Amino acid sequence: MPSDGPPRAHRNVLLATAAGAGAPLLLAALGQVEAGPAVLSALGVAGCGLWLTRRAFDAARPAADTAGEAAPAVASIPYADILENLGDPVMVIAADEPFEVTGHRLVFANRAARDLFRIYRPDVRLITAIRNPQIIELVEEALFGGVGGDTTFETGAAQDRSWTAVASPLAPAPWGASMALLILRDQTDLRRAERMRADFLANASHELRTPLASLSGFIETLRGPARNDVAARDKFLGIMQAQAERMSRLIDDLMSLSRIELNEHIAPLGRVDLSAAVTDVTDALMPVVRAKGVSFAWSPPGRDQIVVEGDRDQIVQVIQNLVDNAVKYTPAGGVIGIEIGAPVEGDAPPARDPEATRLPLLTPEHRAGGAYALLRVSDQGPGMPRDALPRLTERFYRVEGQKSGDKSGTGLGLAIVKHIVNRHKGGLAAETVLGRGSTFSAWFPLSPPVDARVSADAVAKVS
Amino acid sequence: MMNEHIVRSFEDELNQLAAEVVRMGGLAEAQVNDSITAFARRDVPLAQAVAGRDEKLDVMEADIERAAIRMIALRQPMANDLRRAVGAMKIAMNLERCGDLAKNIAKRTLILAEAEPAGPVTRSIERMGKLVAGRLKDVLDAYTASEVDRAVSVWTRDTEVDEHYDSLFRELLTYMMGDPRTITAGAHLLFVAKNLERIGDHATNIAEIVHYEITGRELIADRPKMDALSQ
Repeated sequence: MPSDGPPRAHRNVLLATAAGAGAPLLLAALGQVEAGPAVLSALGVAGCGLWLTRRAFDAARPAADTAGEAAPAVASIPYADILENLGDPVMVIAADEPFEVTGHRLVFANRAARDLFRIYRPDVRLITAIRNPQIIELVEEALFGGVGGDTTFETGAAQDRSWTAVASPLAPAPWGASMALLILRDQTDLRRAERMRADFLANASHELRTPLASLSGFIETLRGPARNDVAARDKFLGIMQAQAERMSRLIDDLMSLSRIELNEHIAPLGRVDLSAAVTDVTDALMPVVRAKGVSFAWSPPGRDQIVVEGDRDQIVQVIQNLVDNAVKYTPAGGVIGIEIGAPVEGDAPPARDPEATRLPLLTPEHRAGGAYALLRVSDQGPGMPRDALPRLTERFYRVEGQKSGDKSGTGLGLAIVKHIVNRHKGGLAAETVLGRGSTFSAWFPLSPPVDARVSADAVAKVS
Repeated sequence: MMNEHIVRSFEDELNQLAAEVVRMGGLAEAQVNDSITAFARRDVPLAQAVAGRDEKLDVMEADIERAAIRMIALRQPMANDLRRAVGAMKIAMNLERCGDLAKNIAKRTLILAEAEPAGPVTRSIERMGKLVAGRLKDVLDAYTASEVDRAVSVWTRDTEVDEHYDSLFRELLTYMMGDPRTITAGAHLLFVAKNLERIGDHATNIAEIVHYEITGRELIADRPKMDALSQ
């Protein structure tokens, strides 16, 4: 494993170069700390001096690691804060020899870069942060070819993000190493907006065609053969209204899906009391449930017992869609079970029924010690065949044999649920037993208690 | 003082070896991602590029193997160090196989690009591909950061890919039975899906190697295995 050893002694010496003039400019001197890998280098970028101290890294890694090491004296230069707090990831790479790609080291990475590539140590090898061969090549060109360049790439975590990477050469370090600057720019919004437009058009035109064809067919009939037939006219107008409503529901769902997808990479802000949200949904659905002759089995825990991080409207939409589905597929006299619980782990919870077939539809990225709140909605419907499970969250996917007209969904409900849960960095799983019913589980990261969060902020400010 | 120097440089050598494996991993990852993109978009030039780049992975695997063997012979490492050297070699082997499978997907993409577009199945295979690529990324992240938890979480999610493959297998079979003219394309699509499933298996293998390398214990449990042929 690439756990890098202490850097060479000469890197402990502070150095500074001014790129514009090419003349070395000593900004500060630092007494070497004998044991610790105290990397303090100041680099000239576009004429302004800036520095890096271990402090920035210390803030990012567990406190235990830094115990016992003397903290270096810090020379403060105003521009450093600007670079550190820049929203775009900025990195400086130093390399001694060409083609020795694995020897290239990251001598500076600002906070955005450290968060994106999970860099917790100073002076790591570039390859342990970025594996993408195109970027590695780009950096190599900037280091030893002396030419800058750019490329696009994607960081394929659960929330896909698109980036443009720009590399440019810097003046060499006094000890002779080649230096290069790597800046990333987030292009996710742009790409998503493009894709959204294309997807929306494709989906809308395809799915709206059926109800539209039926509408124009009825209009034609009403203007022609059925012009004076009162009974037929009433019947047709009823059907036309239902079709128009279906079209409007479809458009609502498509718009809602597009909006959610557009913001999928932006973490939601806010705290949601899961129990209150479920109660709101069940209250609102009461008339539908009574009319259908089914009932809820829902015993809410106390208020503020289970609080998750999230956008309240979206969490309510998840609950609403899952409960709606359960109501739709449960026959009269049946019971819809809703339960919530916390804390659970990030991997999918075990099946409720040992005979059930189950499949995780979405698994959150692994977080050490992450705690989640679980929401489970089960119906007493017909269940689904196993090979339908992987396709459940596809747009407009319908389980075969369940395309009957009285189930008036748009085929987008679970796709919406999946995208919302993904935005919340949560998980989703389905389990089903043919003839007995299906259960959907969604889990969301628990929100830390309010006081704990405040004190964490206070600590961050002090250190 | 002399002693410390030797120990440190051995540690350096091991880190260097691991860094080479990570670099190879980056290339294998790019090959897999590009082959999926080429397949989904029917992108002939990209597919040709993927097929052409495979050789580089073979060279890297040979280099890593040579370096690891040399290290074992000269340094005679024990315990953790030995596991790291052997682990690097085994991971490189799995990555090389991933590269071969990606190359095969690229070659089939070239053939499929001449036929009619296959419709919704392409989308399903692309989804499966994204899932597999995500697993490969996760396990390489786990290796780079020495995170056992992350490796174990990749390992336990093995069945997801199998379920996808199973579902695709049935779907393609239905198409091919319905219209014999689709059999040629269907067979190629089936192999693309199978290749993806095998890349997923290699990711699982790497997760096992990472776990063994860090903890010294093997990952054993009865992971539910499924086989489309047995049903």
